[in-house]
Amino acid sequence: MIERTVTVVPEDGLHARPASQVVEAANNYDSTVTVGPAGGEGVDASSMLAVTGLGVGSGDKVDLTADGPDEAAAIDELETILTTPEA
Amino acid sequence: MTNSTQQPLTPELIDLTNEPETKQEAIESLLNLAVEAGRVQNRERALEALQDREAEATTGVGMGIGIPHAKSEAVVSPTIVFTRATDGIDFDSMDDEPVRLLFMLLVPAAGGDEHLEMLSSLSRSLMHEETRTDLLEANSVERVESIILEAVE
Repeated sequence: MIERTVTVVPEDGLHARPASQVVEAANNYDSTVTVGPAGGEGVDASSMLAVTGLGVGSGDKVDLTADGPDEAAAIDELETILTTPEA
Repeated sequence: MTNSTQQPLTPELIDLTNEPETKQEAIESLLNLAVEAGRVQNRERALEALQDREAEATTGVGMGIGIPHAKSEAVVSPTIVFTRATDGIDFDSMDDEPVRLLFMLLVPAAGGDEHLEMLSSLSRSLMHEETRTDLLEANSVERVESIILEAVE
């Protein structure tokens, strides 16, 4: 399992388009991916309802975990989404 | 009507009688309830804000739930509107599940992060199957009102 802490850059936070990108990405990997407030409990990153329930805003720190055969690629993609400003 | 202590959800904002058959109809009819209750001053602007948000990413968040929402100057006070589609409707949901529980969240433009807090509390509560079942089975407006207000507290 890989863990990584990142600061959320998109202005919308983990909401709207960035949230849907995270959920889509998490669904594209075989690994189990979680996201949660830094130091707090993570939720299933492939569930939009769970991700929306986090209420993570821009500038907040989140912990990512990925566990499975493609965990390195999965966590890299999630980090990219969460640290890229919205166009 | 516009005092700040007004509850986000009141009985007139809950419709258990009419059921929408499409996503568009659901959004329009939920908005109509908000307009009729005096919560929205400019229907067209609020509709535009809702559709802009929907175009960015669907508010079909999975598990049979749709939460169209918008922050707009057209909104008078933080508002939740609720209806059901018992047979399920297509809401472009990310998990492809038909939507049966529909919540519209509307907040004034000056509301800060209030709408996101309301959205995340509601989402957390709806993660519990019991909450979803209770809302699907509730047979009175009062029961629905108490379940939702408890969820967003």
